[in-house]
Amino acid sequence: MTALLRMEIGKLGRLASVRFSAVVLVIFPLLWAYAPGIFDVYGFFLVSGFQVPALALLSSMEFLLPLLIAIACAELIGIELNHGTLPTVLLRPVTRAQWLLAKLLVASIYPFLAMGFFLLTSLVAGAAFGYGPFVGGTGLGRQGLLGAGTMLPIDAWREVLQAYLIAAYSLMPIGLLAVLFAVVLMNAAGGALATLATLIVMQLLIVFPAVTPYLLTTQLSAYVAPASPLGWVATLIAFYCAAFAAAAVIVFERKDF
Amino acid sequence: MEPAIETNALTKRYGARTIVRDFSFAVHPGEVYALVGPNGAGKTTVIRLVSGLAFPTSGTVRMLGHDPHETPAVRRRLGAVVEAPAAFYPYMSGRSNLRLHADLAGGVPAARVDEVLEQVELGDAADRKVGVYSLGMRQRLGVAAALLTRPAVLILDEPASGMDPLSLHLVHGVLRDAASSGTSVLLSTHHLDEVVAYCTHVGIMEEGALIDEVDLRHRGARVRVQVDDLERAQRALAAESWARDLSVRGRDLVFGLETPTALDHVAPTLASAGVALRSLGDDSFDLRAYYRERVEQERARRTGVDGRRGADA
Repeated sequence: MTALLRMEIGKLGRLASVRFSAVVLVIFPLLWAYAPGIFDVYGFFLVSGFQVPALALLSSMEFLLPLLIAIACAELIGIELNHGTLPTVLLRPVTRAQWLLAKLLVASIYPFLAMGFFLLTSLVAGAAFGYGPFVGGTGLGRQGLLGAGTMLPIDAWREVLQAYLIAAYSLMPIGLLAVLFAVVLMNAAGGALATLATLIVMQLLIVFPAVTPYLLTTQLSAYVAPASPLGWVATLIAFYCAAFAAAAVIVFERKDF
Repeated sequence: MEPAIETNALTKRYGARTIVRDFSFAVHPGEVYALVGPNGAGKTTVIRLVSGLAFPTSGTVRMLGHDPHETPAVRRRLGAVVEAPAAFYPYMSGRSNLRLHADLAGGVPAARVDEVLEQVELGDAADRKVGVYSLGMRQRLGVAAALLTRPAVLILDEPASGMDPLSLHLVHGVLRDAASSGTSVLLSTHHLDEVVAYCTHVGIMEEGALIDEVDLRHRGARVRVQVDDLERAQRALAAESWARDLSVRGRDLVFGLETPTALDHVAPTLASAGVALRSLGDDSFDLRAYYRERVEQERARRTGVDGRRGADA
């Protein structure tokens, strides 16, 4: 299992979608940091470097980040299909479940790696505004970007780190869902598209208020405005992850190659 | 001796289409068994069923006494190439790909990687990326990967695909050596000439079924007779202990002899059964002709019309 996991982590950097995501995650915060019309459109000025990661996250969590995560995680399966290496690996004395669990584990880790990188590029992009005390908010706390007086760097760090951590956690089931669909369809593009279609349908289900708190898409805003207590949100996300992973293993166990 | 590979009534269906039907065969240690047949006959599906990559709809597969699905650990003793060309990560070198395989197999000494690379004459190209390998080099790397664990069972789908004559000769030698050291080899191929060169058994497939098996080890010591009454001759010879492996080939009867001197008994036996012997001679076995004949016979039997439309070989 260790050899498998080492092999799968090593492959991450080889994925075209991961490389593409890295480029997007470098450019995206720069757009916010140097956008000339930000006041005209949103009615505020950036006053701190901490606000760049916040704006980058707020503007990408609904579609861009789920898209990047879904594509990369579906490609974890797709790379084997492209190279024809899936049967080769399965002919070794590893069980199918072990092989897929290694993939699922990498798909679970990937949102944290991507969000860590995104935070880093956002902080670099916001460096021109400085990271000292500032009047206003990060955009990730209760007071929004306007804040309530002077914000100390330690509080800003806490808000930003917490938001990125929660965001990464809430993106985990999307990665696992992409792996599940890629396994079902045996196609990376199909897996990513099916994942996005599922998320879009879920977003439309907000017209059923009774199910809204349970939707995966509702949890995507947990980093800034959790619909329920964070403990409940964490449990629900863990349930989604377990369900998607179990379904992927069950389907994969009976696949013909 | 227990067979290393054994299937019993193996059947695979995809929807309403039956790809492999009622397929039973066995490969014993030291044997090289070649599956031959026209495109779409089901050879690759049999290879995938036997190696545990696909699940049978019905029937059983045993590898070294175990079901490869229930006991994946049995694959520790399996070396297989089921893709043609053999599939590797193109961004890694040949050596790195083999190291990865060695890690996954477990218990493979580091020196073994270099050993198998030399065996297939890829030592000089070992550190080049697989992406720049030719088709034949990839196939040879596939054979090297299959040999890594000194397997008891080798399964190869179209090992000759894309190989030049020298590579082909090399790989034949490697497989022959493996078989002589007790490894059971199962392969599928279209190259009937290569089959005769080093295989011990041939299984002829048509439309998912095993229509005939030929033991090539006995092909040199066989007799072919032409008679006026095939059925009566067959009955008469079947009753004799010195006549073995009787088979009908076209309008001829072909059989082996217990000893060379038994040839003297053939004409008297047929005469006493009231059968007129028209010709008697050595059976110089032509696998290509035999294969075509059997496939055409099978097609004619199935369709009820003459199937002589040229089987792929």
